[in-house]
Amino acid sequence: MLTTEKLTYWYTSADQSLFKDVDLEFSAGHSYAIVGQSGSGKTTMVSLLAGLDKPRGGKIKFNGADIAGIGLSNYRKNDVAIVFQAYNLFTYMSALENLMSAMAITESKHKGDKAFAKQMLAKLGLSEEQMTKNVQKLSGGQQQRVAIARTMVCDAPLVVADEPTGNLDEENTDAVINLFQEIARDLGKCVIIVTHEPDVANRCDAVIRLAHKQFTWEKTIAEN
Amino acid sequence: MNFVKRAWLNLRFKKGRTALLILVTSAIMLFVLAGLLIKSAATTATQQAKDSVGATLTLSANREAAFKKMRSSTSTTSGKPTMPKLTTSPVKLSTAKKIAALSGVSSYSATVSTSANAKGFDAIETSSSSSGFGGKMPGGSTSSGDITVSGVTSTASNSNFSNDTYTITSGRGLKASDADTKNVVIETNLAKSNSLKVGSTIKLKATTGSKSTYTLKVVGIYKAKSSATASMGPGQSDPANTVFTGTTFANTLKGSKYAGTADSVTFNVSTPSKVASVKAQAKKLINTSKYSINSDDASYQMVKASMKSVTGFANKIVWLVVIAGTIILALIVILMIRERRYEIGVLLSLGESRMKIIAQFFVELLVVLVIGVGVAGVGGKFVGDKLAQQIVSTQTTTTSTTNQMGGMPGGSGNAQGGAPSGQMGNRANAMATQKQKQTKLSTQVTPQAILLLIAVGLVIIFIAILVGAGGILRLQPKKVLIG
Repeated sequence: MLTTEKLTYWYTSADQSLFKDVDLEFSAGHSYAIVGQSGSGKTTMVSLLAGLDKPRGGKIKFNGADIAGIGLSNYRKNDVAIVFQAYNLFTYMSALENLMSAMAITESKHKGDKAFAKQMLAKLGLSEEQMTKNVQKLSGGQQQRVAIARTMVCDAPLVVADEPTGNLDEENTDAVINLFQEIARDLGKCVIIVTHEPDVANRCDAVIRLAHKQFTWEKTIAEN
Repeated sequence: MNFVKRAWLNLRFKKGRTALLILVTSAIMLFVLAGLLIKSAATTATQQAKDSVGATLTLSANREAAFKKMRSSTSTTSGKPTMPKLTTSPVKLSTAKKIAALSGVSSYSATVSTSANAKGFDAIETSSSSSGFGGKMPGGSTSSGDITVSGVTSTASNSNFSNDTYTITSGRGLKASDADTKNVVIETNLAKSNSLKVGSTIKLKATTGSKSTYTLKVVGIYKAKSSATASMGPGQSDPANTVFTGTTFANTLKGSKYAGTADSVTFNVSTPSKVASVKAQAKKLINTSKYSINSDDASYQMVKASMKSVTGFANKIVWLVVIAGTIILALIVILMIRERRYEIGVLLSLGESRMKIIAQFFVELLVVLVIGVGVAGVGGKFVGDKLAQQIVSTQTTTTSTTNQMGGMPGGSGNAQGGAPSGQMGNRANAMATQKQKQTKLSTQVTPQAILLLIAVGLVIIFIAILVGAGGILRLQPKKVLIG
């Protein structure tokens, strides 16, 4: 589904590249964890995979097509859903309105389907009252669930999450990881999670470690 | 849900910020509308001034021609030196009536000036008037009486009364029906010093002709706004000695040959634009070597100039508020965009187009604008009227000062039947000032004004959004959302 071909990135100069000539492949229906130390370039990789930044060299291909050719905006709209550590919900909306808004922007096949949005939120454990409350009045775990629900109501086959459990307690972390696994297995989406938590990484189908500018497979799909 | 719904949700959620935006936008719209209304009212007032202020034509003896004739007769006389004699012809009222019948002339008033001696009562004496006053009266009559008699068609049509220099304090003024009567209106100081009241009678003795004595009935007492004694020239009678009578009686005092005449006749032309054509028609009815007819649309011109100034001021208000409003709103939009970088970042991460994000901000301001226009529509008339009142008041003061300075050389010459130009200039200035005092700009909130306001508002928010949009177009979602 998603491949990187000789992916290279640097901030100031090519001599000081963050990573160089990276070739990775991600398949639908699986969850992947990218782990590594702080400052190793995990977040940069997730921003490239999410289409929030352009690589300095190489290509990122989605279903065989270069995402630069698709257009990063179109790619973000149709092919990828992003979950952030800080949730990044629309703070002036309720949970339900956040989902409805995302469905409208991404032109989801469920666009305008309030019942579907409610169903998703209910599935993630939000009560009817919580659904219509302003998101700022929800707990961190509930807000992250709303953010995950947002990826579920959109049709994007790829979900990229940047430290999605960074602000959550153990219980909520467990619940969120379960959700990502469900998204991968039940909805057939490809989930890529950037994390520094070994527990979170171990529960993913595959683990890629970024160290010394190199990506190495710590656990592969085949090993499962 | 689209960007319109998002805009609405945002406005509804951030009530404080929305209220502040509405307040600022309403203030901007209020002043823009006030400016537009004043401008429109000034234009209407100028248009109305054409119809209401009117203009005047004054028919009087052609003194220029008379002087010319006098000079030529002096130069051609050889031998013994002779005293030059200025001969002017009084205006025939029959001619005046023909001119009054012309289309465009709404009314006319005649003025006859002469003097008589008080009999049975005392004229007010001042040190400067001890020697009385002499000189040639218009029409060549010699007069040396201590009472100045001003024959008028009506006191209301006399400039001193119409510009409130003189006001009736007791009884009534003279009307057209008093033309052939021996009713008189006297000054309050003259009345007090002789214990005269309304209903009393006074006697005047003619200084020329049969020198008959006439008994007149006091029907009104007037008071001069300020004592004119201070401004009296040497040889002039105290203004308190001026009495107003009908033109027929004033002519009787001057002599039988003056029957059916006047020193000057002023015609009111209802539409200033017709002055030139009425003047041309009137000229055909008079002997121009003996009489002159002068037009005066100073009142209209002054109101027009005043309104032009008001319009200019209103234009400046509109432009200043539009520029200031655009800058203020642009700054607010820039701050709003900075404050909402995360929201914009999330929208971009979801794949929303930058144009739709800009459109969302535009819709938010549009909603605010609609409310602002509504508030302006309600309060626009009030602010417009207050501002207009202030502007017109300033304009009237400025113009009046200019008039006083410009009017000085003309002099009064009222009692003495002075040069028509001086009298006319003064009268016109007085009328113009009077009309200006009456000119109240009444602003009206019309649908056209609201539409224009909306258009101006749209331009303001469009420019403000355009300036602020730079922040949206440059924003990199990665920088906002990750790291």
